Amino acid sequence: MARKTYKPSETVDFVVVGSGASGGVMARELSRAGHSVVCMEQGPRMAPEDFEHDELKYRNLSGITNNPVANPQTFRSDPNKKAERLPGRNALTYARIVGGSSAHFNANFWRLHEIDFIEGSRWGSIEGASLVDWPITYAELEPYYTKVEWEVGVSGLAGASPFDPWRSKPYPMPPLPVKSSGVLFEKGARKLGLHPFPAPMAINSMFYKGRPACAQCGLCGGFGCEVMAKSSSVWTMIPEAEATGRCEVRSESYVFRIGMNAQGRATGVHYFDRDKVEHFQNARAVVVCANGSETPRLLLNSATNSQPEGLANSSGKVGRYLMFNKGGGSMARFEHPLNEYKGANVTRILHDFYDSDAKRGFYGGGGFDARSGGPLTWGQNVPDGTPSWGPGFKDYLASYTYWMNCSGHGTSLAQETNRVDLDPELKDAWGIPAMRVTYKDHPDDIKHANWLVDRSMEIMDAAGAIQIEPSEVGPASGGVHLLGTCRMGNDPATSVIDKYHRTHDVKNLFLCDGSSMVTSGRGQPTQTIEALSFRAADYINRFAKAGEI
Amino acid sequence: MDQNSPSRRQFMAAVGNLASVSWVTLYWPQIAQAAEQAEHAGHDHHMGGAPVPAPAGFTTLTPAEAADVDAIANQIVPGGDLPGARDAKVVHFIDNSLGSFWAEQLPSFRKGLAAFQAAWKSGGSPAAFAAAPDEQQIAFLRQVDHTAFFLAVRRLTVLGLIAWPKYGGNFENLGWKLLGVEDNHVWTPPFGYYDVDYPGFKPYPGTKPYTTEGAV
Repeated sequence: MARKTYKPSETVDFVVVGSGASGGVMARELSRAGHSVVCMEQGPRMAPEDFEHDELKYRNLSGITNNPVANPQTFRSDPNKKAERLPGRNALTYARIVGGSSAHFNANFWRLHEIDFIEGSRWGSIEGASLVDWPITYAELEPYYTKVEWEVGVSGLAGASPFDPWRSKPYPMPPLPVKSSGVLFEKGARKLGLHPFPAPMAINSMFYKGRPACAQCGLCGGFGCEVMAKSSSVWTMIPEAEATGRCEVRSESYVFRIGMNAQGRATGVHYFDRDKVEHFQNARAVVVCANGSETPRLLLNSATNSQPEGLANSSGKVGRYLMFNKGGGSMARFEHPLNEYKGANVTRILHDFYDSDAKRGFYGGGGFDARSGGPLTWGQNVPDGTPSWGPGFKDYLASYTYWMNCSGHGTSLAQETNRVDLDPELKDAWGIPAMRVTYKDHPDDIKHANWLVDRSMEIMDAAGAIQIEPSEVGPASGGVHLLGTCRMGNDPATSVIDKYHRTHDVKNLFLCDGSSMVTSGRGQPTQTIEALSFRAADYINRFAKAGEI
Repeated sequence: MDQNSPSRRQFMAAVGNLASVSWVTLYWPQIAQAAEQAEHAGHDHHMGGAPVPAPAGFTTLTPAEAADVDAIANQIVPGGDLPGARDAKVVHFIDNSLGSFWAEQLPSFRKGLAAFQAAWKSGGSPAAFAAAPDEQQIAFLRQVDHTAFFLAVRRLTVLGLIAWPKYGGNFENLGWKLLGVEDNHVWTPPFGYYDVDYPGFKPYPGTKPYTTEGAV
């Protein structure tokens, strides 16, 4: 079937900016409801055969991610200092292709727990942080978590963890087969009285919704899935949106400004095509799903005379409260080969430490997983005390198949000074102001990450590791989980969007992605982002039907 | 996933000193072009043993430069029972990368190599570094293994050992052979030693795992 296309001069019902985890869901749900939709994507569209297991290209040469040369950023940890470019990399990384970061994620799909939505009330004030309740609860989001699992495709074992939040349905697919890292992780954790369980993964463990089971190639994180078993938007939501005949996915189309009229309504988006020619796509409403870094950047770059501090920024909160997921873990060597380069990256996790515990003396909670990494990335570093060249280094390289990672993923506290805004000097390859990132860990985040390191070493020791190498917990200078920068809330003075993802300031402008999150969760935010998108689309469709947009 | 390990940071900082521009550049069209260049490079390299002929077939480095870089890489990951950097033709990866996707690094790399060679000569060695016995090479490298140039060669050596062969190194997958990695895109369990006899997931007391088929 020929894909639907629209002329920029046509006024479509919705422009969705971004085609990733949130944008894909949004485009499908709006077009299925009968609306005309143009989904804009900065990067190119890749076919299954375009994805390779090329670790150099994908991990070292920005093969599918934002590029430090074309899409540069500056970074600083002190808001009073000038931000500078980091050598050789950007602070904030995301995939720049149709499917967005859902195309290259590891596919860990953790639901938030009930506690994530009410930690402000539970903990009260934390010095230097803005820990507040979400304007919605787990109960309000649960139906949409279930929808993600069944519509997008998630494998797992419902009810296996005593710490799981309640759920209305099981996973549609059984867990993926366990690998050696999962077996060892489970062995060590059970020995300590913990409760490891099969990892919920957005990867097919069986033929599901027209896509095959995982080929167990071993390269998930950072890579696209050439067999389409990974439930990325590019293989799931995007084709289903296009199948409505009402949605155009316009790749290599870089939206840099939202158009506004004198009445304070969004009129469409300004964008560059692949030849850097500027266009304007007319739309009755705009939904920005561009990720937690590009969404605030787009709003700030869309300032008008009546909204000089950036669009939808009367609160001054656009770009603020940037969060990652601070973590810590260890790498462990065992007596026999694990061959972690085979099989889906993660097969076992645990959530025993999910909730914060005041007895620890700091705020923070997290989860652990057993995971692998590609050989090229692994081989570039050596543990302390291991020779970095010569026969000893060669011996270390030859031990690659004997290692695994026990990784802790945890909370990052929202802080008003941690933010994304526009660099006053640096421009990208299109002449648009680059994003400036300001970030400094909250002291509790550091303490919690170190605490995770200690727990991971205990688990690996109990598993029988013959060598354990802790990761060092240092100051964050970037991340891939880009959260909190246009937080939702009931009060227009302290938040950017309401509980239905509508901006407080512009009636026909909605935002939905990691930027909407009020707290960071414990890592693995993608399922929450997709659940939020299903929920937001549900309400946007209701508003449209009622003539309230 | 929010920061690098200390060794990584240390290493990147050292590489950053080699040049202010990035080692992470360009787009995949240039990468594809680089791969094509590599496939046309000479692949008649010696496969281990002595004496070692000068490497040939380079498009970026001079023969003398390539010989020294090859010798350094050979000490970083020496040959032996398992393949080393020379067996995997890492120097061809370095030649190819500095002529394509990391071409901006070439002037700094050359400057670093010239300083390396000058330091070698200042020690009274009449011949090139590449022509010296292993013991002399190792002794000298121990004096300079903290320098930005050495760390850059080290990084490139590891990349050239493990990156896809189309980039010029990892000849006949010998780098992967060293690591114990088989070149295959599809696997079935068991994957490793420890999952061979996994008895299956046992539910915890008080839990009732269930699937679409019902209780587990």
